[in-house]
Amino acid sequence: MAVNTKAIKRRIKSVGNTKKITKAMEMVSASKMRKATEAAVNTRTYAKMAWDLLVNLSKIQEVKLPLLEVRQVNKLLVILISSNRGLCGSFNANIIRKTAEQLNNPKNISRQRTQNNLIEPSENITVDVIGIGKKGADFAKKMGYNLIASFSNFGDTPKLNDIMPISRMVIDEYQKKKYDKVVVAYTDYKSAIAQIAKLRQVLPIAEHDLEKMLQGTGGLDSQDANLQITAKMDGNNYLFEPNPSKVLEIILPRLVETQIYQATLESAASEHSARMMAMRNASDSAEDMIKELNLNFNKARQAGITQEIAEIAGGAAALG
Amino acid sequence: MNIKFKIATPEKVVYENEIEQVSVPTMDGEITILPNHIPLVSVLKAGELRIKDKNGEQIMAVSGGFLEMRGNNELIILADNAERAEHIDIDRAEEARKRAETEMEKAKAGEDADFARLQAMIDRELNRIKIGKKYKNIRMPNN
Repeated sequence: MAVNTKAIKRRIKSVGNTKKITKAMEMVSASKMRKATEAAVNTRTYAKMAWDLLVNLSKIQEVKLPLLEVRQVNKLLVILISSNRGLCGSFNANIIRKTAEQLNNPKNISRQRTQNNLIEPSENITVDVIGIGKKGADFAKKMGYNLIASFSNFGDTPKLNDIMPISRMVIDEYQKKKYDKVVVAYTDYKSAIAQIAKLRQVLPIAEHDLEKMLQGTGGLDSQDANLQITAKMDGNNYLFEPNPSKVLEIILPRLVETQIYQATLESAASEHSARMMAMRNASDSAEDMIKELNLNFNKARQAGITQEIAEIAGGAAALG
Repeated sequence: MNIKFKIATPEKVVYENEIEQVSVPTMDGEITILPNHIPLVSVLKAGELRIKDKNGEQIMAVSGGFLEMRGNNELIILADNAERAEHIDIDRAEEARKRAETEMEKAKAGEDADFARLQAMIDRELNRIKIGKKYKNIRMPNN
């Protein structure tokens, strides 16, 4: 019996240690999550203003630039944003499942929507993948998609400079007509307990997707009421320096950049909050386990004492 | 009459206040915007941004971006990068410039690279260094 209590004691100790670790990880993730959501909200101001400007510009003149050109889809590029590390609950599983679902049947996502009509994709759609984060890249490799680039060196809150190479690559390839559509697969941060895996179109630049993305980051909307000021521009009065098309040329790539940046930030926030929740659950179950083990330990201890007394009493009886 | 002014970079809103005037480096040269300016959209280049608000003059280093002056006395600058002069870390800017220059050398040696981007990077760092040095001595004591 003595051996049994010892074993239980050891378990209690080891579970306790695990609990300490998960508790610490939970706290770390909570603070990282706060930073990432803050960054996501900050980015929205810029994206919103740039978008307003673009909308206003497009009212003034017919906008015809390569980044806005809608064409039939033969080649699709997916930017898959996942995490580098595990232990974050179903975060990676969700985004990968969502992406896999869409890529198994790329017809739907490859359809181009313009204002009045749909452009059906061609019969043979090829899909390439850019992986941000190790897990997604691993998945793309395993599934046999053509992984053209993989980025896994972003910090906890990605900086704009980290995104630059990706957005430049995407824009270049789109302009060269290598890809006819670029989508980003990311995890939208709704709240600390709800994150939703989503796919959004990045190129050609589409009003619908950009607006949806700006609306995101749930629960934080109240903080920036100033996003509501939508510019009302009386186009004819505007002065452009050097000229409208030059201004557009500069704004459009920025929008793509911000959109991808926003997606990585949302994903980062989601990752950290998913990890936080996973770690909280782990801490809670460790707590339960310790309780259970404590009970078992006490029972075993009591059983041992009872047995000893019985033995002594039995021995005394035998002597007498 | 003041201008409602805001500078945003993709990473955050750097400055937001009511101001009296601002001088901005644009591609066509430096312009100064006063209240009641007509609506204007212009493209920025790397340079020094001088803001006059009720606390006096604020200096910032900006690199590229665009500005939008709206009809109702609202001015918005969307900069790639904006930094207050007193926050510039000259040593790090110097380092960044050197890095960009070595990359440029490599690029000239035939490696695959993008000259325009590197040149823009060098310009940006040079600009930061210049502004940082110029205003080094008037840093706010409590910053």
